[in-house]
Amino acid sequence: MSYYLGIDIGSSTSKGVITGDGDVIAQHLLLSGVNYRLAAQKLVDELLAKAGVTREDIACTVATGQGSANVELADQQIADIRCCARGIYSIYPSVRTVIDVQGQSTQVLRLNGEGQIANFVVSEKCASGSGRFLDIIANVLQIKLEEVGPLSLKSKNPVTFTTGCAVFGESEAVSRVAEGVAREDIVAGVHQALAEKISSLVGKVGMEERCAITGGGALNIGLISWVERKLGVELLVPPEPQFVTALGAAIMAEDTCKDG
Amino acid sequence: MVRIYFAGIDLGSTMTKIVIINDDEQILAYVVHHTGAEHRHLANRVMEEGLAEASLSIDDISFVMATGYGRINVPFADRQITELSCHARGVASFFPNVRLAIDIGGQDAKGLKIRDGKLLDFVMSDKCAAGTGRFLEVIAAALGIEVEDLGGISLRSKQKVSVSSTCTVFAQQEVVNHLSAGVPLEDVVAGLHDAMASRTARMVQRLKVEPDVVFTGGVAKNAGVVKALEENLRCPVLVPEEPLLSGALGAALLGKEHVLKALARGETIQTGERRLDRATFFEKE
Repeated sequence: MSYYLGIDIGSSTSKGVITGDGDVIAQHLLLSGVNYRLAAQKLVDELLAKAGVTREDIACTVATGQGSANVELADQQIADIRCCARGIYSIYPSVRTVIDVQGQSTQVLRLNGEGQIANFVVSEKCASGSGRFLDIIANVLQIKLEEVGPLSLKSKNPVTFTTGCAVFGESEAVSRVAEGVAREDIVAGVHQALAEKISSLVGKVGMEERCAITGGGALNIGLISWVERKLGVELLVPPEPQFVTALGAAIMAEDTCKDG
Repeated sequence: MVRIYFAGIDLGSTMTKIVIINDDEQILAYVVHHTGAEHRHLANRVMEEGLAEASLSIDDISFVMATGYGRINVPFADRQITELSCHARGVASFFPNVRLAIDIGGQDAKGLKIRDGKLLDFVMSDKCAAGTGRFLEVIAAALGIEVEDLGGISLRSKQKVSVSSTCTVFAQQEVVNHLSAGVPLEDVVAGLHDAMASRTARMVQRLKVEPDVVFTGGVAKNAGVVKALEENLRCPVLVPEEPLLSGALGAALLGKEHVLKALARGETIQTGERRLDRATFFEKE
């Protein structure tokens, strides 16, 4: 049997997927850290061990993500938006808009009926438009990142953040805490601000249903709910949203191999 | 001969400054403190220290003009005025030929187009921490060094790295990545200063860059940013000896003009209720 490897080295986490005969054999995730080369090596080793295969068994490897150049095993590097589009198309062929919320950027893709990218926009210049903003506020409130989403849904009165900057937003959060504002209202305010940014990105590419959300941000049920309220649509959430791009990379490795 | 005195207080987001002048526009005293959370308490404290330094009492001051983002929290002020007019006036008194003034404070950055001491146009950025003093504070904290030391460190650089980020949060991470890749600290810090200067140069472009260009605010104390700004603007950049004082000095000078105009019209000067002693942060309005 032939195996295909998709490796996605992101700014925060690195993900890998091995497929064989169209099925996912194994997947693995670890923190990228500051050295992408080390992260890529460790990810590949651990993923192969999980799948019980050796490097020789891999027919083709596609690397993607910000650190894709650091994957030694890669036969090819492909832009992450293409891998994300390919991954989502394999899971939900009817999806036309994908919101991919990552640790340091957010991108919105619009796909045509064949799963190809018709339009896209990437926001990577500002932390307040990425998952990083949630990280920073979770830190101020001394709560775990995975708790901020559920907590935000308890809010009846979200605070308004007057700034579009994560650094100034951090100071605002500190002031609100000092004023005795409830934590759920503060985190709800951050989710609202982020949902606002995301919806303006969606507006730029033009929304078409159905919509899906991927990336680490899609693990946050609070964010999903706030974005749904903002856009007025229901979002499809794949079972493993963080692995969609790596899965797309593995499928593209298979496509490449069969074409070539 | 009877002297009259004027005070200008500039309550900024990060620093609070006070300047006391006489009718010859000589600076008799100035005080600078971190603003912190208790604005009113602090306003009283800098005023008291300023008066002590000038050997004056509050009743000797003919007019107290307040400016800066916290200007409403100065209980003893006779009048409030926006910081743009004060900066323009203060900078022009340091450098009469100023045509472009750049002020970078703790939480904002401003560019002022000035002709013959008058403010003609301005640009301002306060929506994003990158391009303000906050950018340097955050990065210095991440590097574990004092923000005051950044300038000296960067001047040792022989080959600055490029810091591409336009966001403070991302720049912080970029800096950590550069250092872990073995880039010398001075080259990283010089790169940061360059990123900040190029952002500032883009901001003031619309105002036309021509000499004299004057740089004020807390960030103007950083010799590395001054150098980077000169490179990016392709023009010499002048910095007053005390770059933090232009707003407070301008406020004091505008207070003096206000009083002289009123006297020339034969009017009495309307001063506010001078609540120097009893006002505290805890006082109810």
